[in-house]
Amino acid sequence: MAALAAVAMIGAGLAGCSSGGRTKLVFAFNKREAVPFMQQVVDDYNKSQDKVNVVMDTSGLNSTAAGFVRGAPADLLLANFNNQAARYVNQCAVTDLSDTDAAKRVRPDVKALVDGVGKCPGRTSAVPYSIMAAGVIYNKDIFAKYNLQVPKTYDQLLSVSKTLKSNGVAPFFGTFYDGWTVSQGWFDYAAGGSLDLKSFFQSIEKDGANVGPNSSVSYEKDFLEPMNKMMTLAKDYTNPDANSKIYGDGNTAMANGKAAMYLQGPWAFSEISKTNPKANLGTFPLPMTDNPKDLKTAVNVDLGAMIPEQSKHQAEARDFMNYLFQPKIINAYNASQLGFGPLKDSAPETDPRVAGLRPYYEKGKIYAGPSYVIPQAIPIPQLAQSIVLGADPKDVLSTIDADWARFARRQ
Amino acid sequence: MAISSLPSVPDVPEKADRKHRKVEPVFWWMTVPTLVVFTLAIPIPAAIGIFYSFTNYIGVGKWHFLGLANYIAMFTDPQIRQSYIFTIGFSLVTVLAVNVISFLLAVGLTARIRAKVALRTVFVIPMVISGIVIAYVFQFLFSNSLPALGQALGVGWLKESMVTNPHLAWVAVVFVTAWQSIPGTLLIYIAGLMSVPEDVYEAADIDGASKFQQMTRITIPLVFSYVVINTILGFKGYLNAYDIIVGLTNGGPGTSTMSVAMNIVNGLTNGDYAYQMANATIFFIFTLIVSLLQLSLMRGRNK
Repeated sequence: MAALAAVAMIGAGLAGCSSGGRTKLVFAFNKREAVPFMQQVVDDYNKSQDKVNVVMDTSGLNSTAAGFVRGAPADLLLANFNNQAARYVNQCAVTDLSDTDAAKRVRPDVKALVDGVGKCPGRTSAVPYSIMAAGVIYNKDIFAKYNLQVPKTYDQLLSVSKTLKSNGVAPFFGTFYDGWTVSQGWFDYAAGGSLDLKSFFQSIEKDGANVGPNSSVSYEKDFLEPMNKMMTLAKDYTNPDANSKIYGDGNTAMANGKAAMYLQGPWAFSEISKTNPKANLGTFPLPMTDNPKDLKTAVNVDLGAMIPEQSKHQAEARDFMNYLFQPKIINAYNASQLGFGPLKDSAPETDPRVAGLRPYYEKGKIYAGPSYVIPQAIPIPQLAQSIVLGADPKDVLSTIDADWARFARRQ
Repeated sequence: MAISSLPSVPDVPEKADRKHRKVEPVFWWMTVPTLVVFTLAIPIPAAIGIFYSFTNYIGVGKWHFLGLANYIAMFTDPQIRQSYIFTIGFSLVTVLAVNVISFLLAVGLTARIRAKVALRTVFVIPMVISGIVIAYVFQFLFSNSLPALGQALGVGWLKESMVTNPHLAWVAVVFVTAWQSIPGTLLIYIAGLMSVPEDVYEAADIDGASKFQQMTRITIPLVFSYVVINTILGFKGYLNAYDIIVGLTNGGPGTSTMSVAMNIVNGLTNGDYAYQMANATIFFIFTLIVSLLQLSLMRGRNK
């Protein structure tokens, strides 16, 4: 009996809506670097009215997923809009936001980017909040010291790397112990800089269960050359202990000028500046071809707003969402995180550290990294990691093809 | 399951009036809540999971039946095959290493030595530290401290981190898991060794048995049931290996140390719920068979 009562109490706790007369609104937000900023926004909102009490849940996407499975997800999600979040969209488990003021302000090319990741027909399921453009982070002082120009072709990149290496400077800092840093940086930039990923994914999605050695497009066929080029850089031009270094080590190394280049997104800047706020850093897209016109920057929808259908507080969630999308707040957020604004009225990103990528974002020379697009059931971080640790790229890519076909067969 | 069958319950004398005897109310008070909570927490979710393993459910939204597609895909999936090979191999090696080391330590710690109690306390400390904390500490040691030591001493093979070598990472996982689970096994062996009466050894001494003969002819046969407990409990625990691997290698490098349990948990967050439920169903059947085998082996010995 006592146990039954306890179970009932847990149930009540999950469904509990009010705290002291105010409606409790659970707001899932788990971008670690920006939690203090967002906590301030939540506190201000709670002070500004007395009907709703927003509670921020920073416990991460795994508990968000568990919330959906239990039928009690957060009321408003502001989450990394990748292949994982896209599942909720593809299953139409989040509501249509097309009538919100925020959705009407989104740039059309950014909307296309969001739809490319996940879509529920006839709905605007996710409203982008922050776009991250990622490329090579480089140390301007080291480049100046050896008279190096920002490379625009693969050959120039190789000659820059050779010069650095012969002067005893590690050209790239690799953090291969953390698989996600390999997939997000090395794997994505190498593929995105070489291929037209949009048409590649359109074809390979059509082939689905038939993808393999004999299909018209395959990872084994199309990704092999980029992977081989990637391996030239990863094998010959990284720090000797790259295999055992983690993301945190990479940020410390870049802060202290231990390497010239680093394949990370702008989120690393806030971590680097904790160690050395004066590090003189810039960015450029990783050149993978011999034509400077091919240069593109990797982008991802770092944050998108979604409201689960299962939420019992639709109106309250929308009200808080509108609050978040006020120009004052969304612009301040993107400025603080070096994100690019997704709205027509967004303030331009002016931080010099991401200036090297801005022209590409503004001209629409962008691609969504494959590791954000390929379903997470295929462990790209681990597979990409095994390539840089020495596995044969051809074998690993044919594994991805087989995984892709297997995944398509069980949909 | 294994524990409850170990102590041989004294046979209750068969009585004709057993049916008519009134059941103590405390019996209901103790069993019903447990049974209700157990049913809610284990069999019902398991049944739901097995049901969904025949669908394409991702944990949310619409779904439809797939028949055996998940199971067929599973048996051709190299990653799943590798996770079974790794998990079973890792469990066997760890069970062996943990039992041999714990037994030898237990023999040492029950011998007539100084500071016995203090030493036992030291050896038991790893048991009270959380697995994930141990794993992160060892991860740091393996990827920073050991290579630095190798650098300083000029030992070539130490310079490269063991956890980033696809062929050696499993050794690191065995090492850390053993480090954490030796204390528990050790305590059971100490209890076992202390239960052997002194006079058996005195008699053996008088008969002129050597220390080695005393070990193989007296100690090991008398504590054999403790070996069985430790093997069964250990093997079952290692098959579910999760926290140490997550902290130490996160399944890497590549997928070389990905355990079955990790694959199943990842399925929930990766939108592969139904597929990994199929995996969980197969894994459940596998552990069931292993447990039944172990039980029947044990029963065979006791008879």
